[in-house]
Amino acid sequence: MTMSNRLRLSTILPAIALILVSCGGTTSGGTASSVSAATFGSKEPSFKPMCTPAAGKQFKVALIIAQGGLGDQSYNDLAYSGFQRAKTDFSVVGRVIQSADIVSQGQAIVQQAGQANFDLVIDLEFSTYDAVKAAAPSFPNTQWMTPNFTSLAANDTGYLFNEQDGSYLAGALAAQVTQDSKVPGITPSKVIGVIGGVKAVGIDKFLVGYAQGARDIDPSVKVLVNYSNGFGDPAKGKQLADAMFSQGANVVYQVAGGTGTGVIQAAQSANKYAIGVDSDQDAIAPGHVLTSMIKRTDFAVYDSINRLACGKLKGGETINLGLKEGAVGLSQMKFTRNAIPSKYLDKVADLQQKIIDGKIKVWNTITQGTPSWFTS
Amino acid sequence: MGGLVNRQGGIVNIGLEPMMLVGAFTAVVVSAQSGNPFLGVLAATVAGALLGLLFSWSITRLGANEIVAGLGLNLLVLGFFGYLLPTAFKIEGTLLPAGLVGLPKVEIPLVNQIPGLGPILSGHDILTYLSWLSVPLVSVFLYRTPLGIELRATGANEEAARAAGVPTLRLRDFSTVVAGAFSGLAGAQLSLGVVTLFNKQMTGGRGFIALAAFYFGDARPALTALGAVIFGVFEAAGFRLGSSGVPSQLVQMLPYLVVVISLTLVAVRRELRVRERARAAAA
Repeated sequence: MTMSNRLRLSTILPAIALILVSCGGTTSGGTASSVSAATFGSKEPSFKPMCTPAAGKQFKVALIIAQGGLGDQSYNDLAYSGFQRAKTDFSVVGRVIQSADIVSQGQAIVQQAGQANFDLVIDLEFSTYDAVKAAAPSFPNTQWMTPNFTSLAANDTGYLFNEQDGSYLAGALAAQVTQDSKVPGITPSKVIGVIGGVKAVGIDKFLVGYAQGARDIDPSVKVLVNYSNGFGDPAKGKQLADAMFSQGANVVYQVAGGTGTGVIQAAQSANKYAIGVDSDQDAIAPGHVLTSMIKRTDFAVYDSINRLACGKLKGGETINLGLKEGAVGLSQMKFTRNAIPSKYLDKVADLQQKIIDGKIKVWNTITQGTPSWFTS
Repeated sequence: MGGLVNRQGGIVNIGLEPMMLVGAFTAVVVSAQSGNPFLGVLAATVAGALLGLLFSWSITRLGANEIVAGLGLNLLVLGFFGYLLPTAFKIEGTLLPAGLVGLPKVEIPLVNQIPGLGPILSGHDILTYLSWLSVPLVSVFLYRTPLGIELRATGANEEAARAAGVPTLRLRDFSTVVAGAFSGLAGAQLSLGVVTLFNKQMTGGRGFIALAAFYFGDARPALTALGAVIFGVFEAAGFRLGSSGVPSQLVQMLPYLVVVISLTLVAVRRELRVRERARAAAA
């Protein structure tokens, strides 16, 4: 029972080899559903060519899909939509590489992608980054792109998102809403909650930003913190969230993947609020997802192809994307906007501007470790 | 309770977990297709029972080792969903089909007014009540009906039972079918009662906790239910402690720790009793 499912799977499906789909410049083969990801308050990220691409030159670009696959209505679909967008704006021959078991096949896939002479390989799967680090130097004519990670090689460009900034805004909104009985379903309290998938700096980055946003609104607001120790157990997510609601929380932020769907359902059945993550999850339980902390992976993908086409993709550097670029931020709150008093939204917009202007610095656990005021 | 009946029939069923998973999946798909969660529950029960029958045949007719077959079933079902979800449903994570209806919560009049106890006893889905009801029902079945007594005889000594004319193979199959049906129900409760979705990791070891519960209860219904309640209490306590500063990995280990400790105590007690009896016989 402690064996990871991934491990069990890999023992059972070793023969399911990689599936290569969508060859050539057509748009066939993708099953990605459309993912809406426009952010609140801030402008849309700029999906505009940086230059007038030189005529005649065609670029070969591969997109390696991560665990979850196309159709996850989240990370992969979002990245894929940025890929599609870039294909219409630039002269790009795109290829999507999908595998039934990317984790165990990762090394082989990365190696094959390198040998295929692509101009750019965008690798969405975190677990293959060791392989990218090892392989990239052997293929100097290929540029690599690794989102959510720093540059791994002289020909790899890393993209980092300032998720802490978006989480800060989520915390600031939650801390205001939880105290207001005029908002439907709220029993005023100074308690909010957050559930992380595992205790790790990459997850705590979200949690600490959220707690800091809440503190800056009202230091007496208590932020309940818990971890589900897994990303695929929605029943546990529901139970953890229920425990927080019964401890007085009105809003619980989920940073726990598939476990988080249980958090959202808990909010729906308790008539409280959840906060979604990564993609716009507001529609999963309309009216019960206060907002979603969105990460524009599509923009990172588009941006890397944009740079490639304009000769500006140098490799060896890490690009930071944040509120300023519109690459992280809160959702448009289509279903909750009218229920939230506008002064709270104004406050959030104000804080957003302050972060962009550098007047507020949000804690980054990746570079700064865990702050002393954060207890989990 | 299902695993308990199985154990009484002489089969240690470590396939409860995958049977739950199949039940959870069937419940979601059928409920979404039909718009009726009760049909989903029914289908989950049938699916669990069928899987139980297949599993049982491999043990009783083909002579497979129950642990090996159980392990195989675990791997097979996980692999099956690992393949099915991306190919047939184009997803790998959470299955949340349109039109999926969960089980309604049932409030018991008067009971839900009792301060303190009300929210514990009332406001659950029908499967939760059914699980409570199953404790006395299984007890009556095992100890008060001829079939139940024959089943226990089979589990205690299959050869002696067969010699006495009991159809032991069929009884063992029957007990596994019951285990499968109950597991299917448990899965449906997870995917339609607790949450309303399916995820291939959603059983999260709960089938193994059930296994520990009937070991704790020595395969007796009331004691097993007590074991399950104890594990549940520790789990719930863990969820609350986790958000008050105690490391969550540590507190979420609590139910499993309780399993290990209680099983040790059960074994020690049994050993002492055996020695006492030996001493009494010698005296």
